[in-house]
Amino acid sequence: MNGIVRHLLGRRGTALICCAFGVAGMICFLFPVYWMFISGLKTSAEIFASPPSFVPEHPTLAAYRIVFESENVARYMRNSLTIAIPVTVVTLVLGSSGAYALSRLRSRLIDLALVVILVLQVFPDVLLATPMFVIFRYLDLLNTFTSVILATSAKSVAFALVILRPMYRQVPMEIEEASRVDGCTPLQTFRRIVLPLMRVPLVVVGALTFVQAWGQFAYPLTLLSQQELQPATVGIYGFIGGEFADWDRVMAFASVFAAPVLILFLVLQRKIVAGLTTGALK
Amino acid sequence: MISSSPRRRFTVARQAVGQSALLWGFLAASMVYLLVFIGLPVVYNLVMSFQDVTLGNISELWRPLIGLDNYREALGDSTFRKVAINSIVFVGVNVIAQVGFGLAAALYFAQRFPLAAFLRGLVLASWILPALVVGALWKWIFATEYGVANYVLLAIGLIDRPIYWLSDPAFALSSVTIANIWFGTPFAMILIAAGLTSIAEEQYEAASLDGAGPIARFRYVTLPALWPTLLAVSCLVTIYTMRAFDLIFAMTQGGPLDSSNVLPLFSYQLSFLRFHFGLGAAVGSTTFVIVLAVALVYVRTLRIEAEA
Repeated sequence: MNGIVRHLLGRRGTALICCAFGVAGMICFLFPVYWMFISGLKTSAEIFASPPSFVPEHPTLAAYRIVFESENVARYMRNSLTIAIPVTVVTLVLGSSGAYALSRLRSRLIDLALVVILVLQVFPDVLLATPMFVIFRYLDLLNTFTSVILATSAKSVAFALVILRPMYRQVPMEIEEASRVDGCTPLQTFRRIVLPLMRVPLVVVGALTFVQAWGQFAYPLTLLSQQELQPATVGIYGFIGGEFADWDRVMAFASVFAAPVLILFLVLQRKIVAGLTTGALK
Repeated sequence: MISSSPRRRFTVARQAVGQSALLWGFLAASMVYLLVFIGLPVVYNLVMSFQDVTLGNISELWRPLIGLDNYREALGDSTFRKVAINSIVFVGVNVIAQVGFGLAAALYFAQRFPLAAFLRGLVLASWILPALVVGALWKWIFATEYGVANYVLLAIGLIDRPIYWLSDPAFALSSVTIANIWFGTPFAMILIAAGLTSIAEEQYEAASLDGAGPIARFRYVTLPALWPTLLAVSCLVTIYTMRAFDLIFAMTQGGPLDSSNVLPLFSYQLSFLRFHFGLGAAVGSTTFVIVLAVALVYVRTLRIEAEA
């Protein structure tokens, strides 16, 4: 069957048909993302129209204006940023140095450390939220960004160690030895020679960590009860908790919140794909 | 060699010591961080599961132990059984669907055609979205009256009256499962695609020369070579699906009547909505055991794959 089709269409024809089906499949798959963006552009009358319009008839930014003016979207986004940036910094500092050590040290302890890291990575954060809540309450850190930043960083540090360790192998040992012979201290060698060579993997891990911290929900939900401190994830949740929701406004809020993540993804897409595939299975 | 002079030799030796001190210092910093902020909470959660923790005594760290009472109460509850079965179904269906669709898509995009690599990368756009946004989005898609899912299914005649996707107990678990499959499949696909590229082209050529068709090539070349990857990906999907709290919480909060509730969400409800922190911790520790078992299988498969 396949042979007959190939015979009739030739190699190039088959390739084009494959491409067409691939594009069609991708459009169907990513339709929900499109739906999110155009729902935010609809008027509140059009959003509840039946049948629904697949292209907004009167695209408007009204829903965006309303959520920015009366739903404190700017404050929610600022809080998300206040959490995500320190988490990214902590993760990059601990992850880059720890993974370097894991890739260079030869010891049975390293095997043990690797298993511990892999295992610690798997505990669902919402389950850690119960003990964290009690511990942070005891330390009087509830309703501080510090508590959420410390809790969120833990999982991304484990993730960064797993992803970055195999990538350090691509930095040749000879370069480090040459630098040492030239009189650099080990710390100088790491900072001036090794880290610059790891720029691309570090950008990928930084971006993925930022995305994960930006979307973090369980810890802010449980550790921050003051509304002024809550990030956008908790804000969106508050918006859809009820049976009825103003979906044009919810989707406008969700679009604003998801846009930075999608932009970051589109810019780094190729590097993220390459980074994930070398890290997660090695 | 360069290090012939005694002074130089001394410097190099001192640097080697400095190097390993630095590396152990680096390692210690991240390990201490992980043990304090993940290890300690896991252990403290276990301690709490043997205590009666309520709002009255929550500000103390140590409380009298009450043995297995929390486990007896939580595990004996009929809700727990329902939620545990939901979790098994939710995770099981997700693993089969995500690995199945992921494998199919990876095979499709492994063919040579224009845009193949670009399209394959683009799929990750759904995986990169915050889980809460995915939950909100699918709650809107599955809205009974104005949702686009019901509209499309009615329009093409697959159903003749609207489905109550999120408010009918018979459908709620399926709805959150569909949303989570959409969310997670790209990640499985990318990892499987990486496994596919490591299979040598010569193996396929040799099989073709032996007269193997596409199905035989898949059965006798692709599948055996890909097996360790598929096992590792299944473990990862299990681990990630056990975490799916945000998405379900946004879509249904586990309802109606716990029909879409899963263990992590149930633990959250016991702790933070009913303030039975001890019960929440007991359900949490039970879930930890399950995740831990999967994690150990995962570590083992990575070993096998590394040796292969």
